[in-house]
Amino acid sequence: MTADKKGTRSDRPLPELKKERDSFVQTFFKKGAQFTQELVNENSRLRSRVAELEQETAKLRTQLASDDAIRELLKKIEGLEREKKSLLSRFEKVEAASSKWVDQYTEVEGELANFANLYVASYQLHASLSFRSTLRQIKELLEQLVGASAFAVYLQKSDGRTLVPIVAEGVGKPRSVVIDPDDGAIGEVFSTGVPQIERGDLGQGSIDNPLALVPIKMEDRVVGVFAIFGTLEQKPRFLPVDFELFKLLGAHAAEALVCARLFADAGHQIPSFDSFFDPEM
Amino acid sequence: MADYSCLIVEDSPMMRQLLVFALARVKNLRVTEADDGVDGLRKLAGARFDIIITDINMPIMDGLKLVKRVRSDPMHQATPIVIITTEGSQEDRQRALQLGANAYITKPIQAPQVIAKVKELLKIE
Repeated sequence: MTADKKGTRSDRPLPELKKERDSFVQTFFKKGAQFTQELVNENSRLRSRVAELEQETAKLRTQLASDDAIRELLKKIEGLEREKKSLLSRFEKVEAASSKWVDQYTEVEGELANFANLYVASYQLHASLSFRSTLRQIKELLEQLVGASAFAVYLQKSDGRTLVPIVAEGVGKPRSVVIDPDDGAIGEVFSTGVPQIERGDLGQGSIDNPLALVPIKMEDRVVGVFAIFGTLEQKPRFLPVDFELFKLLGAHAAEALVCARLFADAGHQIPSFDSFFDPEM
Repeated sequence: MADYSCLIVEDSPMMRQLLVFALARVKNLRVTEADDGVDGLRKLAGARFDIIITDINMPIMDGLKLVKRVRSDPMHQATPIVIITTEGSQEDRQRALQLGANAYITKPIQAPQVIAKVKELLKIE
């Protein structure tokens, strides 16, 4: 048995064994080298993957930080938006109040100007005791303050049936008017004592189509009429202050004219103090 | 003490008074009145004014002659002049502006309009 075994071991020739061994060793080393190469490659791949993952992690970290910053910024924007809204609302309120004040200021300025017009009109109407000056003032009042370009002032004649123009502008010399409530607007206004004034756009007026007719009164008695037949181009309608001026002229023109006439008739003599004395007062 | 001075040249006492009332609303403005162009020149000879407001139609010396005379005087060459005209006097208005007037106001005058024009020319806020 032992011999057989020994015989079996040595059946194959030595060179063949050697060759086999060499082949085995070669294959072994070759496979080892291959395996090592594979390991190196795998290691390199893993390293690259690790680097990639590290990069991704860094990116994610940055993004996270950036998201936080964005969240902060969004919060700030929201806060600023709220502040902006509140400021706009306050600004609107202040603007509304300011606009209200400006309107009120303009209104007050307008009223003051109207009062000044009325004051100047009444002051100038009674500023002179000369009949001619008083007539001139009435004329100026209509021209300069009202803006009339064609007008006439009629007073009742002593016969009680006719109105005579004592001053006229822009219409030549107008004819006298027979007082007849049924014949013409001037006679009607004189008879009724009710003014007729165009309240809308003035347009073109004429003697036959007056724009304003206002009775001139003295102690509630109608003694004349003033008529406006045309206005300046830049006067498209009568303003509220014009209506007040018409009232003033209607109420004071006759008094101013009568005072001036009486003063002239009295030879510009001022009555003595005694004549003003009233024992019953 | 007034910061500004204004000369009103106007023959109508009513218009003068109206202008004085209007200009009283302008702070620190002293107003001097003249009856016509000659009176205006007399007042201009003795003093310096910051602005002149003049009517066109006046007896003795009208507004156009006054504007011409004012502009030929070195002392008042730069003084703003406002003329008061009626709507029918387009030619007078053009002539006055050619002679050196700075602005015009049309009758019937409105106080706010006068105040605005004077403030504009005097550069008052």
